[in-house]
Amino acid sequence: MPADEQSLQFSDVNDDVVRSLVETGRNYYIALGVAIFVTLACFFFPWFYQLRYGIAAAGNNHPAVWGTYLASFIFWIGLSHSGTLLSCVLHITNSEWRKAMYRSAEAMTLFSLLVAATMVMVHVGRPWFIHWAAPYPNQMELWPNFRSPLLFDVMAITTYLTGSLIFIYMGSIPDFAAVRDRTTGWRHHMYVLLSLGWRGTDTEWHRLGWAYTFLAVLIIPLAVSVHSIVSWDFAMSIVPGLHQTIFAPYFVVGAIYSGTAGIVTVMFVLRKYMGFEHYITKLHFDNLGKLLIVLSLIWTYINVLELFTGWYSGTSTEYEQLKYKLFGFYAPLYWEMILFCSAVPLLMLSRRIRTSFFPMLLISIAVNIGMYTERFLIVATTQVRQYLPDRWGTYVPSLVEISIIVGSLAMFTTLFLLFVKIFPSVSIYEIKETMDAPKKGKSEWQATH
Amino acid sequence: MLAETIKHPVEHLFPYSVPPEEYSPGMVTWYNSVCGMCPAGCGISVRTREGRAKKIEGNPLHPVNQGRLCALGQAGLQSLYNPDRLTAPMQRQGERGSDEFVQTTWEEGLSAVAQRLEMADRHSDSVVLLSQGVRGHFANLLELFMRELGSSRLLHYDFAHPHSLHAANKKLFGEDQLPYYDIANSRYLLSFGADYLNNWLSPVHHSLGFGHSRQGDDSARGRFVQIEPKMSISGAAADEWIPARPGTEGILALGIANRIVEGGYTGGDAEDWSAALTAYSLTRVAEQTGVPAETIARLAEEFTHAEPGLAIGGGAAGNHTNGVDTLVAVNALNYLVGNIGKPGGVVFNPAPMSSRSAIDRPSSRHANHQAMQDLAENARQGGVMVLIVNNANPVFTLPQSTGFKEALDSIPLIVSLSSFMDETTALADVVLPSHTYLESWGDDMPQPGVGFSVGSVSQPVVSPLYNTRATGDIILGLAAKLGFREAIPWASMEDFLKDGWREIYARRSPASDDFDSFWRDVLRSGVLGENVRRESTAAVDKRVIDGIGVAEPEFSGTNDDYPFILHPYMATSMYDGRGANLPWMQELPDPMTSIVYGSWIEMNPVTATEMGVTDGDLIRVTSEQGSIEVPLVTFPAIMPDVVAMPIGQGHDDFGRYARGRGSNPIQILAPTMDPESGSLATSATRVSLVTTGKRAEPAKTGGVARQLGRNIVQFTDGSSEAAGHSTKVNGIPIVVEPA
Amino acid sequence: MARFAAGWRKYRKPGYYDEFDYAWTMSIDLDRCTGCGACVTACQAENNIPIVGEKGIRNGREMQWMRVERYWEGEYPNAKLSFIPMLCQHCDTAPCETVCPVSATYHNQDGLNVQVYNRCIGTRSCAVYCPYEVRYFNYNDHHWPKPLDQQLNPDVSVREKGVMEKCTFCVQRIRQAKDHAKDDGRRRVVDGEMQPACVQTCPAEALVFGDRNDANSKVSRSMNDPRAYHVLEELNTSPSVVYLKKVDADAG
Repeated sequence: MPADEQSLQFSDVNDDVVRSLVETGRNYYIALGVAIFVTLACFFFPWFYQLRYGIAAAGNNHPAVWGTYLASFIFWIGLSHSGTLLSCVLHITNSEWRKAMYRSAEAMTLFSLLVAATMVMVHVGRPWFIHWAAPYPNQMELWPNFRSPLLFDVMAITTYLTGSLIFIYMGSIPDFAAVRDRTTGWRHHMYVLLSLGWRGTDTEWHRLGWAYTFLAVLIIPLAVSVHSIVSWDFAMSIVPGLHQTIFAPYFVVGAIYSGTAGIVTVMFVLRKYMGFEHYITKLHFDNLGKLLIVLSLIWTYINVLELFTGWYSGTSTEYEQLKYKLFGFYAPLYWEMILFCSAVPLLMLSRRIRTSFFPMLLISIAVNIGMYTERFLIVATTQVRQYLPDRWGTYVPSLVEISIIVGSLAMFTTLFLLFVKIFPSVSIYEIKETMDAPKKGKSEWQATH
Repeated sequence: MLAETIKHPVEHLFPYSVPPEEYSPGMVTWYNSVCGMCPAGCGISVRTREGRAKKIEGNPLHPVNQGRLCALGQAGLQSLYNPDRLTAPMQRQGERGSDEFVQTTWEEGLSAVAQRLEMADRHSDSVVLLSQGVRGHFANLLELFMRELGSSRLLHYDFAHPHSLHAANKKLFGEDQLPYYDIANSRYLLSFGADYLNNWLSPVHHSLGFGHSRQGDDSARGRFVQIEPKMSISGAAADEWIPARPGTEGILALGIANRIVEGGYTGGDAEDWSAALTAYSLTRVAEQTGVPAETIARLAEEFTHAEPGLAIGGGAAGNHTNGVDTLVAVNALNYLVGNIGKPGGVVFNPAPMSSRSAIDRPSSRHANHQAMQDLAENARQGGVMVLIVNNANPVFTLPQSTGFKEALDSIPLIVSLSSFMDETTALADVVLPSHTYLESWGDDMPQPGVGFSVGSVSQPVVSPLYNTRATGDIILGLAAKLGFREAIPWASMEDFLKDGWREIYARRSPASDDFDSFWRDVLRSGVLGENVRRESTAAVDKRVIDGIGVAEPEFSGTNDDYPFILHPYMATSMYDGRGANLPWMQELPDPMTSIVYGSWIEMNPVTATEMGVTDGDLIRVTSEQGSIEVPLVTFPAIMPDVVAMPIGQGHDDFGRYARGRGSNPIQILAPTMDPESGSLATSATRVSLVTTGKRAEPAKTGGVARQLGRNIVQFTDGSSEAAGHSTKVNGIPIVVEPA
Repeated sequence: MARFAAGWRKYRKPGYYDEFDYAWTMSIDLDRCTGCGACVTACQAENNIPIVGEKGIRNGREMQWMRVERYWEGEYPNAKLSFIPMLCQHCDTAPCETVCPVSATYHNQDGLNVQVYNRCIGTRSCAVYCPYEVRYFNYNDHHWPKPLDQQLNPDVSVREKGVMEKCTFCVQRIRQAKDHAKDDGRRRVVDGEMQPACVQTCPAEALVFGDRNDANSKVSRSMNDPRAYHVLEELNTSPSVVYLKKVDADAG
């Protein structure tokens, strides 16, 4: 129980959340404006240039045909993992500390998935035909190729996206209703639609609880399988360095790791700029920190395992892979990744650090930078050192690619900024579950309405 | 397939308004012709559709290439459809070399030249016709023309003409020709510097022979030994690559010859040989060449007992101060093992098919370097009034020291018949552009031929693209304007050609009168062969034997100032520079280094480490004549004090693909010559290498050129009849049972 | 159940065919190959392969459906260089075929690995999966300065940007040969009647092409040569290109 919650009333919760939706300061508009501008300038503009001139705008070549677009795609899918997965797991284990943050975390999932989908469109050579990857009846009488791991991707991510969307929406219905009752004008109409006529009866609560738990249980294996499937895009190839069974757990662990770090970042922002200091507290950061340490250790273990098996195999190709990773052209990136993902998180072993907001922010950002580097390295180091030494090359991302990475981040931020003004970013009813019930008698609001 | 048109017919999908009879859209028409990309003279079949040339293949009926074709031959299409083709006659407007030309008509162009030719004094030899090496009836036409003009200065000039080989054959065997080297039937080839698979004489035919000798005969596999200071592709293909000190290959050959003579040579002139070769003892030769004595002895042993062995020479070995003597020594080896005139040996060719053309241009006709220097000197003294250049580019292929470019200043009229704006054409006053070979009539009697008489006909495969004319027609046009109607009555090259072939026909079938059918058949097949062979002389004059000897090579520049020997070699894709304006050739990776679109200099890796330079450093290469800058590449198979550079890049002009790219090593070559043949000793220049401190990475398609134990290229020791075949997987042998 | 088993067996066959109509195979004799590169240029001429330019090559975007790789062994003065032409191996168990999400690459009844340009959406996963790295992606639209475009082969598409391409064993020639054979009295294509451009031009006759279903074809003889092997055989891609080991008489 947060220390300063003794004086917190149920009505305060509603007030705070509604205020976060309704009151918009100048800073918000500036932030939104910048985000939209950067998205347009750094994502869409270079993308249209690439559409016109071909993938030559990126730094790809032969042999490095996959580049940062795919690395970004994996990164964003990874980031999407924590939100919903964590929310579901923690829901089933009845943990209390998830209540304040899970809404935003689920939103993070949703938007990460959307950004990841756009990355696919940027990556593909002829995106105007990307709908061919969907199994729809067509005059060509062609199905897509179901044997392809990329198609498993399409199926899995679509399912995950659908599931997450339903999940977050469903969980927000009571909150929409609460906000509906407190707002006027166009907002009121919007929330009337969104809340689907929720009246808060016992039957409705019961059904919601059941449906919510059902979905939570369903989403857990889904989330695990999604990133495993994404990892199989790589692992099903016979490229040395990619063709490893450890990839599925590696990616899933990495996803949860980077996602959790993402949650920490988002929580910091929400807490500071949306006035949620009472709801997002040191306890949350403490627990997230503990989770991060565990994940960091597992991640480190898997990396060591990869190196060990590469060395142990004694084959020229695997050995070359690990030599190249550790000492080759990208070695500085590799060691940066180790620093940010294995070394820096160890700082969180100290409780003091775990419960300090700003250091946690820095660590979480470092972790995500390291994780992005990891995705990039998987793509970059393996393609340029394959079986035939005559084909070895180098890959350096172009300005267009870097710009699109920045743009995708801006796109995510834009979506999130829009989210905080439409969805209640902290779950009202779940917070209330952690508080004492109000005393009998009318509340201030009830007295005046 | 005649006459120029005003509109460009190829701009339309179906280029004819009144199509020829055999034409139909969507239908393919094949034309047999002769490749004009190098002097080998392979036969080609060109696939055309809608009046456009689509693909060049080798003519399966042609005995030289038998349906195969090299990369440069394939790129002939890009010569025809090159965006930088000259499209119409031009006259110079600005200063020479200012690239200011104005289009003119054929009438004007021809008149301008004819006028000047008439003004030239008829017997002063002031008119010079400098042509690329030409054979067949067109060569006759040139001779006729020059004779009527009263000038004896018809010069055939090719950078790569094997003057020394001609001279060596003449010296030893009395034959002033290029013999046919029967590599296909040889089982042991000892090559002294001859890059026979790349661009020596007839590379496609040699490759066919190489392939056959390797794996075409189940009973035996040919063994190939290459002796050269830097590994060429022939060296890569060889079983053994032996680096001998540059210029000492002839000494090595005589060392081997000495062993052969000592080891039981039973010819009648054994004593003479023994006396002549006694100085070439194993120890002396080993010391001079740097090749271990055991190796020399072994080579002699293997060569003698091969059935049969064949020795060839060329490349750097043939282009040195002792080039002729070196090649005489090489030929002596052939003589000593008795392969002259036999399968797998040296076979002399019969006279060419046409009675009019000489066996090959006599050596005096082919301008060696001495002749080019004399020409330049004569020009400087005002001895040349008119210079007509046909598809030769001496400004590019002659070293700066010749001063050829400057000498041109003293020539009042320079006419170029080239199809492209190359460096020499850029200095011309009148440009009368030729058709490319794919648009022209012509014929060829290939040299070195295949041991029997071969004549091939070249016909146009497409309508002319531009307002150009066949070179033969240009000469005929000039002849007409000059009033040579009596001696040169033909209206077109096609007529001239047919007349020439009428004679061939008459000789073959004196009783018959159906030349038209014969001509049609020859055109259809593209080639005519006659089973006329030549008894090869197997006797060597005693005086020649007595005079046999190879001097030490001489180099320009002292060892101290110029520590490296420069070894320029013709790049696979460029030949002598003519491939540089063809994008396919610029994009064809060099076989040894995979470099494209540029020049480079190759150096031994140990030497590079000692010098403190690495791949991609920009190096200044300086000879006594000048310097160039070129990126460095370390190369595992080159002698420590030798640096090698490909020839072909470094054009100032010649189109968008060639211009301003790389450097031309010919420029800095010393004017050292082989005194006997007058040919340029291309490998006699010493250079110094200094790093400029800048970087200039060459563009490469390849990555790391080592297998790293991955068994990509697998080897076998050649023992056939293996019980199963063994597959090694990462060092663990897995034997696969035969099915 | 039997139908299911039959279906499963068929699914496990390359291209889902019980047997190939023709099983086109190429053999490359490394003891004959001189590294001259005639095959490279012939392929470029036949198949409208774009000219990438110096900048393209520096960026690593060369387009050579048939390329010659070079590998050195040893050091001076015992350095040896070997050439190995590398092209699409038309693997029967091709890693690229399974991964294309839109089935733009599949195995046809002639045992060829076919690339369908107009189905390709350019995910480039096939290029990643190919261990021989013989797939080339069109990073941009290509331009032939006039009149070089007059030379383009009308039987072969000119690919737009965003599409993957690779060696097809000159499928346009195979198609024409089969059509011609059919018109010529419903016969089969005779061994040697049709050759891809590279095989046709090789001056050393190192490349041999034919139908391995025909026991008398030249290529079948090559396959039975004790020197025969596949490159990267341990990956079990079942390639249709057979290499004949280079003879190194001095090696152990």
